[in-house]
Amino acid sequence: MATPLILGEALALGLASGPACMASCGPVLVPSLLAERAGLRLNAGFLSAFLGARFLGYLLFAAVAWGLGVLLVLPQAQRLLLFGVVHVLLAGVLLWYAYAAGHTCAQSCAHSELVRISVTKKRGLPGAAALGFLTGVSLCPPFVAAGVRAAGLGSVAAALLFFAVFFVGTSIWFVPFVGLGCVARNEAVTTVARMAMVLIALYYAYLGFVMLMGRRVHGY
Amino acid sequence: MATKARVLKPAAMPPRSIGRSLLLTLPIAVWSLLMFANPQRHLIRSEKVASLITAVFMIALFFLMMRTGSTYRWRRFFFVALGVLFPVGFIHTVMVMRGTMGIPIEEMIAGRTPFCYLPIPLLILPAAFTKSLVFPGSLLPGGGMSGAGMAAMAGMWLAITLVVGKGWCSYACFFGGIEEGMAAVRPRAKLRKIDPRWRYGPWAVLLAMVLLSLALFEPAYCMWLCPFKAVSEYVAARNTVGMVQNGIFVVLFAGLVIALPLLTKKRTQCAFFCPFGAFQSIFNKTSAFDVKIDRARCSPCVLCKTACPTMSLTDESIARGETLMSCMKCGACVDVCPKQAVVWHIKGTEVACKPERARLMFLYAAWAMAVMFGGTVIAGGLATILHVFV
Repeated sequence: MATPLILGEALALGLASGPACMASCGPVLVPSLLAERAGLRLNAGFLSAFLGARFLGYLLFAAVAWGLGVLLVLPQAQRLLLFGVVHVLLAGVLLWYAYAAGHTCAQSCAHSELVRISVTKKRGLPGAAALGFLTGVSLCPPFVAAGVRAAGLGSVAAALLFFAVFFVGTSIWFVPFVGLGCVARNEAVTTVARMAMVLIALYYAYLGFVMLMGRRVHGY
Repeated sequence: MATKARVLKPAAMPPRSIGRSLLLTLPIAVWSLLMFANPQRHLIRSEKVASLITAVFMIALFFLMMRTGSTYRWRRFFFVALGVLFPVGFIHTVMVMRGTMGIPIEEMIAGRTPFCYLPIPLLILPAAFTKSLVFPGSLLPGGGMSGAGMAAMAGMWLAITLVVGKGWCSYACFFGGIEEGMAAVRPRAKLRKIDPRWRYGPWAVLLAMVLLSLALFEPAYCMWLCPFKAVSEYVAARNTVGMVQNGIFVVLFAGLVIALPLLTKKRTQCAFFCPFGAFQSIFNKTSAFDVKIDRARCSPCVLCKTACPTMSLTDESIARGETLMSCMKCGACVDVCPKQAVVWHIKGTEVACKPERARLMFLYAAWAMAVMFGGTVIAGGLATILHVFV
């Protein structure tokens, strides 16, 4: 049973870990937000989809952590395989995102006016959700700490609640990202965001492949 | 218009008299002698000779700038010498200290890594969040560069940067000279059509590297993308990761510093890749000096646009009478203009109001920095050559 004390602990853990979560998600979130259209409301929508999917990733992780009780003590080879696949998928989504942003631009930007990315809302939200989910199931250090604590709780419901509160604590730190909506969008900003996405995707792909080859990187 | 541009020749400024040129050179001569004749340091013979040659070299180049009115032509000699002699001195030092150019991980952990200014923009955010540097240099006494040394370098960079802005990249950076030299080899560019969007490359590298440095707590640019690791201090390749890192360094160096400058006649690494250059562009806003285009005189023949080694002039910017914020103040556009419409300018004054005075004021600041920073590096490289080979 999750007592108020345990929930308070989850919230404190989330708040304390927030900067680390923000730093860890920054390489994915910042360029993808900048590749979207300007506007606080639009960026808030994107961020909500990202965080919502990240929340689903958290809950999935909590259920597995509690249900199996073994994720964190999985043999290293299997753990590397799992997170290698997550990183490769993350790289794939980022590359697709960078390409899709350019493709949309190629059809709509006849001249050097402001580039309008994602004129149809169809691409933005699923892309944000995919990115959010994949970052949600990555094993960053605060996440491991929360996972260990959740695994020791009495029921799956308690573990899920613990992770939900932990998520709220970390998510507060993401609110300032909405401010990126105030950055004016022009060809320079969207091109820089797309190029950065490609570079970051290449790095994640490298990490993923190294993990798939069975080598440990960055504590995974 | 392109045909017309080809036949236009720069209007030669009447040369200054020798006496007046010498008079204008005098402050730089005094400064150079102060820099190189340091009586407190006990120099060996090769160092004394190298210092003397460097002092004469720097004074002579400044005199020629004063005499001819041309900036880019003479600055380029200095800049190429700096780019070539920096690795000579640096490699010699690490070979003497360590016996290899490869830095092993134990040395990095111990903080015995020379501090370079390129990671400065990557260190700011992690330092703000964690109060520590994500650079394997140490702040501890005896652990590589001292905290005072690192702070002095950052302070010197900031002071210089506030005055000359991105002029740093043309008068102080010891990495850009090799590509400037390669860009000068061919008379005409082989590759002329370059997508202007590549100009955003440095900002993308900056954004990606700052975010990755913060996320992974490592100096991502130094670890993965610095082309100059190939000619300074690479990772000791003891495993696959080290091999991959060194492979990336060599490919980037060969492509961005050797091959592409040769084919395009542009400083491709500086213009399309260097994150420090992007960061430095911001300080063009704080610098008192810039380059303007006098619209009353401009034809426009776009010779300046073609000559710019960093693609910092576009048709739109010429129409606005200014360069883009990526301008490195190298002076190529000013030298090449047949109508003397491209001019040095001090912010807050009228365009073309005494441009030669603006040029002089900029050059005194920039060349004093060049003597102090680049001159020392050139003298070090020359001393190495004299010491080893003569």
